[in-house]
Amino acid sequence: MSIVPKENIEVISQSIGINNLSPDVALALAPDVEYRLREIMQEAIKCMRHSRRTKLTADDVDGALNLRNVEPLYGFVSGGPLRFKKAVGHRDLFYIDDKDVDFKDVIEAPLPKAPLDTGLLCHWLAIEGVQPAIPENAPVEVLTAPSDGKKYEQKDDGLPVELKLPVKHVLSRELQLYFDKITELVVGRSDDILLKKALLSLATDSGLHPLVPYFTCFIADEVSRGLSDYPLLFALMRVVHSLLQNPHIHIEPYLHQLMPSVVTCLVAKRLGNRFADNHWELRDFTANLVASICKRFGRVYNTLQSRLTKTLVNAFLDPKRTLTQHYGAIQGLAALGPSVVHLLILPNLESYLRLLEPELLLEKQKNEIKRHEAWRVYGALLGAAGQCIYDKLKIFPTLPSPVPQSLWKTNERIVLTTPNKRKRSVEPMEQQPPSKKIATDGPTGLTNSSPSPMQVDTAAPAPSGDTNKVPSSSSTSLSNESISNSRGRSNGADAQSLKKSAVLNQVWKDELNSGKLLVSLFQLFGEDILPFIPAPEMSLFL
Amino acid sequence: MEEEKIQKFIQDYFKNRGLKLPEELQQSSTNTVSSPVSQFDPDVVRQILAFSQFQDGPARYQDEYARLRSWTYTSLDLYRHELLRVLYPVFIHCFMDLVAKGHIQEARTFFNSFREDHEMMHLRDLQKLEGVLSPSHLEEMEFAHSLRQSKVNIKICQYSYELLLQFLHKSQSTTMLGIINEHINFQVSPGQPSSITDDAEAVTLMGGSQESANQINQKEIHWGLLEDSLEERLEKVGGMALDSERAEGETKEGEGDENKKKSIEGGKQGASIKKQKKDKAVSATMKSARPEATPVPTAPRVKPELTLPVIPTEVEQSILEDLRNRVQLSSAALPSVSFYTFINTHNGLNCSSISHDGSLVAGGFSDSSLKVWDMAKIGQQSVGSDLQGENGTASSEQVAGSNGGKRPYTLFQGHSGPVYSATFNPLGDFILSSSADSTIRLWSTNLNANLVCYKGHNYPVWDVQFSPVGHYFASASHDRTARIWSMDRIQPLRIMAGHLSDVDCVQWHSNCNYIATGSSDKTVRLWDVQSGECVRIFIGHRSMILSLAMSPDGRYMASGDEDGSIMMWDLSTGRCVTPLMGHTSCVWTLAFSGEGSLLASGSADCTVKLWDITASTKLPKAEEKSGSASRLRSLKTLPTKSTPVYSLRFSRRNLLFAAGVLSKSV
Repeated sequence: MSIVPKENIEVISQSIGINNLSPDVALALAPDVEYRLREIMQEAIKCMRHSRRTKLTADDVDGALNLRNVEPLYGFVSGGPLRFKKAVGHRDLFYIDDKDVDFKDVIEAPLPKAPLDTGLLCHWLAIEGVQPAIPENAPVEVLTAPSDGKKYEQKDDGLPVELKLPVKHVLSRELQLYFDKITELVVGRSDDILLKKALLSLATDSGLHPLVPYFTCFIADEVSRGLSDYPLLFALMRVVHSLLQNPHIHIEPYLHQLMPSVVTCLVAKRLGNRFADNHWELRDFTANLVASICKRFGRVYNTLQSRLTKTLVNAFLDPKRTLTQHYGAIQGLAALGPSVVHLLILPNLESYLRLLEPELLLEKQKNEIKRHEAWRVYGALLGAAGQCIYDKLKIFPTLPSPVPQSLWKTNERIVLTTPNKRKRSVEPMEQQPPSKKIATDGPTGLTNSSPSPMQVDTAAPAPSGDTNKVPSSSSTSLSNESISNSRGRSNGADAQSLKKSAVLNQVWKDELNSGKLLVSLFQLFGEDILPFIPAPEMSLFL
Repeated sequence: MEEEKIQKFIQDYFKNRGLKLPEELQQSSTNTVSSPVSQFDPDVVRQILAFSQFQDGPARYQDEYARLRSWTYTSLDLYRHELLRVLYPVFIHCFMDLVAKGHIQEARTFFNSFREDHEMMHLRDLQKLEGVLSPSHLEEMEFAHSLRQSKVNIKICQYSYELLLQFLHKSQSTTMLGIINEHINFQVSPGQPSSITDDAEAVTLMGGSQESANQINQKEIHWGLLEDSLEERLEKVGGMALDSERAEGETKEGEGDENKKKSIEGGKQGASIKKQKKDKAVSATMKSARPEATPVPTAPRVKPELTLPVIPTEVEQSILEDLRNRVQLSSAALPSVSFYTFINTHNGLNCSSISHDGSLVAGGFSDSSLKVWDMAKIGQQSVGSDLQGENGTASSEQVAGSNGGKRPYTLFQGHSGPVYSATFNPLGDFILSSSADSTIRLWSTNLNANLVCYKGHNYPVWDVQFSPVGHYFASASHDRTARIWSMDRIQPLRIMAGHLSDVDCVQWHSNCNYIATGSSDKTVRLWDVQSGECVRIFIGHRSMILSLAMSPDGRYMASGDEDGSIMMWDLSTGRCVTPLMGHTSCVWTLAFSGEGSLLASGSADCTVKLWDITASTKLPKAEEKSGSASRLRSLKTLPTKSTPVYSLRFSRRNLLFAAGVLSKSV
């Protein structure tokens, strides 16, 4: 009945010298023995838990016996698991195999090696919640990525697991080879196809994470050394691009090392030493790279964009810098988006163009290269400003309506699409722009605004007071500005509208501070800016 | 002819039991009764014949229980889970009745035949009961004794109750009826049966009766934070400091990217250059997070009941500085985790502890030694900061020298049994260790010497914890008491007695007026430090409690057990907010982040898990008792490389430190 059979009790009693144990006693003792055994095991489990283990050892049992003031059992060390042997001829009889050891052997044996002393190692288990793929951490699940580099494939995740004491960072041989190959390719300017494959592998392979610090170092070094080597720089930037694309790499902690080299490639004085080197292309590429970095990490690393723009604006506004540097800065800012352009380039545009103008003209700048550079810069500026305008036109759907209206009045050409467009744009927009239109354009405006008669009422009282009514609404001022913007464009479109808009400009002068800017933009660039006006509007001009 | 005999017997049997159809019998699916109609296995025959002799004896228990069981399993779905709850208490009382009457053999067969039903829910209780083999054991064993003494409360709806009684009467299961009357206290509620989800708390067979627990939980507790705490002072000066800091940050950011290699914060006590870099990144995110962080609804303030030690001003300054630079953690901003791995411990490490700034790591070993590593000296050579200046380089070298070889750690020897726990005081200049030799020892990290040996417990001291302000400490022991001590007295100030088994872990409330203790009796208790009274009993765990943590706002408590479940408790109501399921093995350690938005748990399953507690603790507050529908979210599981996590600590700047032992065999 109990798990301790009474035969066992009899055997044990015989072993301690009681030969005539009555069976009743054995029967009564057996359950008690089991109960005591369980009790001791329960205590032993407590000891095990407090030793932060999940495996019960002989030490724990000793501890439990100690708690009960029982002498511990000697001879059981918890060095390793006890090896039980099956007794021959019995199904469920086991014994511990005690080997006979010759004293002589023990004495003559060399001293065993002293066990290693306890040590403590430190590593990052996670950095802001993300586990770095370092050998100290458990291998991350391999996200199977179709990679071309079959030679190096996925070996990386199964990094050698042994933790040797003094080694700070274990880089497997495969990774070292990989790194060497890639750097060789980049530096050695070998054939394009191979480089492309390498870049693809960089962009897709998992398990490259341990190499990231090496790559960042490599890039920083090579950029600072090889500023005159155009193909190298371009290759390096493409490496950066690939690394950024790799979904398995957590590159954020290394950005601060990477950014200086990237920015260098954007605004350096000279990139490449031959005239044939198309460093403009490199700058464009880098500008896009920078923008993509900002877009991706700007949120987590929020000083990134502000610091970057600061650097770029500094480069842009310093007249002592060369035009190539200016070009890079402008491209960089432009790539960051229209709002950056609006905030940082446009206010400085006029003064800058004044500066640029002498460089542009044939008679003033004889050096053809310099002139070419100046035109490049001019083009970049134009592109940036134009993009900015284009963006604004897209953001405010109300814009198209003023444009046709002003045109409508001057050259009586009614475009049937406008009412439709208006209808669509009526709901989201505020009442201001059309009403203003009405107020200024008089009866024509009225007829036009028939789809939305409500607006007439609101706008009727005082045209000049419109913005005062909703002074805080930023979108109002923005749309105002864009109206005058469109005015500005119509200026260029034909003489009549120019006259009209001149009048309008006077009317709205006080409110349209930023609007002025865009007018001036037109004045600065002339007709060059026109291609940036969205196509529907353009069609109206023609 | 034997067949006939059997047939006759069976018919008689049916008559006796008041059953009409053999089919019904067939449903009652125990092997003893169901099969004989069709087969005539000699064994079964013998068993059946044996019934006639044991008509009123122990066989009745088995028989009636089997019928009750099969009836319950075939009952209506809607009411089944309620009726199932009745089975377990009936089962164990049947068993104990059998034992008490001396039918040991029958008790064993009975136990084994139905054991599986309850293994899932009550494995540990069953393991205990299994050992009960004689009436004297019943008396001796506390668990069994308390079971016999107290009644089990079961909530049941009107209809289920009627169904049950009807069945028992109709089937003339008088034995069962007797047991149910004697040991179960039905709380019959009108209306629909309760939902199956609160099954967990339905049957807690506890030593202490439910009523007394409820009564205790009525007591008022003040869970608010201390008046004039450093945090509060920080909030006061916060605005001012924040502005100046921002300005500072601006100027620093203006320097451009290239020369950013230098760390922004020189003063961090982190050891390595690596860490300094980290801090830079951390401070960057911190600056971003700060403005958005809404001011937390401030917890009520309470007066300290203990005289608190005075903190030196320079230390206070450095703590304030740390608090100002604290990273705001949330579900979106997870902490960085620095992991300290012990190697070559040869299975000897029992516990580890990390100082508040993470610069010191202590390990308690089963060879009675305590070893302390100074992280500043490990890893890359780095500039020692002010805070670490006090860690006496000279003396530690002296100790190392006297021991011959050069050790990377300081060895503290003095205990005469395995060291089960160690704790640093908030400043990191003292360590307490508790051991199986039933003493607690105070060590100075400055002098590298044992200062005091506190003797008071009679059995191994499982856990010792410094209070959040230092000076006071609490200990938990196998002698079923927890004790409060102060550093300057060798006698305990208070003894908390009440747990029914070992007190396994202890934790201070953040306002120092309460301590919580977790025990092998599967309860967590909260004690008033001043009066020494038990003010809360938290019932709900299914196994031994291994770890406790208090939220910084003092409102919640988390407890982790042997099975890997973590429970979050609301201190004021004494209820479980939500259980956190996810770990598969013992939860060794728990830690709340500095502002209380995250809970980190470390387990024997070699993972650190991060839980979002803001989402879920807020919800139940709003909808009050509408149930724990919202589960706490497990944000992230960070697996380690076969390293069970022994201890966790959030630094004041919310960097998470973890420690564990590399175990090769896992």
